Amino acid sequence: MLEAYKKKYYKNNFQYILVDNSGKIIETDDAIFHIDANIQLQSIHPFFEILNNLLQIENESFDFTCINLDFEDKLFVVDITIHSHKNNENLIILENLTNHYNNYQLTAQTRNESIINSQILELKNEYLLEKETFKNNFIANFSHQLRNPITASIIFSDLLINSDLSSEQKNYLDIIQSANKDLKSRIEDILDISKIESGKLILIEKDFNLKKLLKEINDGYKILAVKKGLEFNFNIDDALPEFIKGDQYRLKQIIGNLLNNAISFTDKGFINFNISLNYIRAKKASIRIEVCDTGCGIEKQNIDSIFERFTKIESETQIDNGNGLGLAIVKYLITEMNGSINVESEINKGSNFTCNLSFKLSYESHSINKVLLKKQLPSLEKKYHILLVEDSDLIQLTILKTLAATNNFYLNIISKGEELITNIINEDVDLILLANTIQGFSAMNLAASVRSLSKEYKKTPIIVLSTRAYKDDIKLFKQSGVNDVIAKPFDDKKLLDTIYKHLNKKRK
Amino acid sequence: MAISKKIVLIGHFGVGKTSLIRRFVENAFTEDYKVTIGVHISKKNIEIPEEETVSLIIWDLEGQDDIKNTRPSYLLGTNGFIYVFDLSRPVTFENLDSEVTYLKENFPNTPVKVVGNKMDLVNKVYLSDYNDVFKPLVDFYVSAKTGSRVELLFSKLAKELI
Ligand SMILES: Nc1nc2c(ncn2[C@@H]2O[C@H](COP(=O)(O)OP(=O)(O)OP(=O)(O)O)[C@@H](O)[C@H]2O)c(=O)[nH]1
Ligand SMILES: [Mg+2]
Repeated sequence: MLEAYKKKYYKNNFQYILVDNSGKIIETDDAIFHIDANIQLQSIHPFFEILNNLLQIENESFDFTCINLDFEDKLFVVDITIHSHKNNENLIILENLTNHYNNYQLTAQTRNESIINSQILELKNEYLLEKETFKNNFIANFSHQLRNPITASIIFSDLLINSDLSSEQKNYLDIIQSANKDLKSRIEDILDISKIESGKLILIEKDFNLKKLLKEINDGYKILAVKKGLEFNFNIDDALPEFIKGDQYRLKQIIGNLLNNAISFTDKGFINFNISLNYIRAKKASIRIEVCDTGCGIEKQNIDSIFERFTKIESETQIDNGNGLGLAIVKYLITEMNGSINVESEINKGSNFTCNLSFKLSYESHSINKVLLKKQLPSLEKKYHILLVEDSDLIQLTILKTLAATNNFYLNIISKGEELITNIINEDVDLILLANTIQGFSAMNLAASVRSLSKEYKKTPIIVLSTRAYKDDIKLFKQSGVNDVIAKPFDDKKLLDTIYKHLNKKRK
Repeated sequence: MAISKKIVLIGHFGVGKTSLIRRFVENAFTEDYKVTIGVHISKKNIEIPEEETVSLIIWDLEGQDDIKNTRPSYLLGTNGFIYVFDLSRPVTFENLDSEVTYLKENFPNTPVKVVGNKMDLVNKVYLSDYNDVFKPLVDFYVSAKTGSRVELLFSKLAKELI
């Protein structure tokens, strides 16, 4: 019985071929394909050229798996065994495994394609990342380079305003000052973005007076709105906690950017600025910030892209009032603070930005803060000697003017790092102002070498004026003996405050 | 009768072994990728000036991450190797040095040409980034797509074989 079935279903997949030592066919059974006898097997397919070598070796067998043989326009995939004999009769056995190997081909195809695609994707990402890093570094460096000239420009125009000017000149100066301010804030925005994108932005958690901060923000932006003829309504929820813990500078930046955006895009009507308490839970206050305007609104398809960098929805008639980074920063900061932001907008009716942020409640004794906030000017019974080490003429002049205006200081300026040590040994120096790099010297090295002198120089305050003032940078400066870092661009108030602070400390 | 020489193309999958052979034998190219399984064998005669005609028997092997996994029977009687990698995909030349060393050690008298393919996809800056890897090893930068230096590769190798 079995034999009968076997006969019925048996498929002969094997072809047996006898060849002589030169490869000429003696006999074949044509089970897979027909070959004429008496021809060279080499002539039907180049695979068999291998016989020229193999048949020289007697009494051996060779196995070849998965050989693609295209033969008379048909493709066979076969395993081949070659038995070489002594008697000029060599046996070649072909096993037709075309179906089997075709299935395997499909699997290999899918596998290889998906591996290659994922590799290409990885490469693309790597490339994008490199480009991104390059861009961020470029932006950061470039913005740093802009700081020195802007600092000078700000300080000199501040000095100029107090001099004798005609009203026309005062008007011009107003314009210059507001352009300076604008430029400074744009550079800061760009730096923020590059900091955020390179992961260098760190939130600083501190106790602060929320209500006071909101009031300050309100005062500042109300003026701007009213100037533009807009109504400005500020609603603050009495239930809000007075003190919370968080990064007040960044919170101010979020709200400021939202208000700034609302004011820029609204030509008539009102701005509503509402702050309310969602709830207090687990010692945390959830706060809702709402900024509504009656401005030009945002088209539905643009809503998602308004938080992207360098995007700005703008009709042709609108004047450019910002560089489009404000909302991107808002979005990043809110994400960093684990908050959420939502926009509703109707074209030509207005927009409504709502964000929710949580802050830890603060239980500190807050009266101390008020005392600290008061500016402590030293009672200057004598004039102090300040040594400035700086090679930029602009900054030298800027600082000279600022300090001279107070009449509290003697200023000595050197522009070479190597003169620092002889100078502090030979002259009276109460405080050192150090540029972060001075032709071949770094502020860190210079500070370290001052600190390595004898004990009396250990206490002289060293303040670095730096275009780099990230947290990491400040840490490094402090490790090398620097007392404080003033970020460029700075204004005269910042400079004086810092100098007074350290002279005060030293006196104690 | 022409003398015949067996040339084997090996390297990772998808690097363009089949495409290089197609360019050389049929002067054609396709963007489609059909994975080779096992081995395809083709033949092309080339005339070498002032010498006899050489019949190249070209073995196009299934791509392999690791040369050691190649079926040994495929390599029997090989006269020359072309080791192909894909210039645009670093994984395919990650172990270039050890792969080529393996070949040279196991087939000491057999010439090996190391070939970076898909030259059309990369630029000079990219190549110079990888100069340390490529310079000591690579014999030809080619493109099956544009045909650049493909003919030269095979004829140089053929010349070395006679
Ligand atoms: N741009 C470009 N693409 C190429 C070149 N050579 C091959 N390709 C493409 O690369 C893919 C793989 O080419 P194949 O020749 O099949 O690669 P292989 O090395 O034979 O691959 P396996 O048979 O799997 O080992 C195909 O899509 C080809 O079109 C080249 O020089 N330039
Ligand atoms: Mg192939």
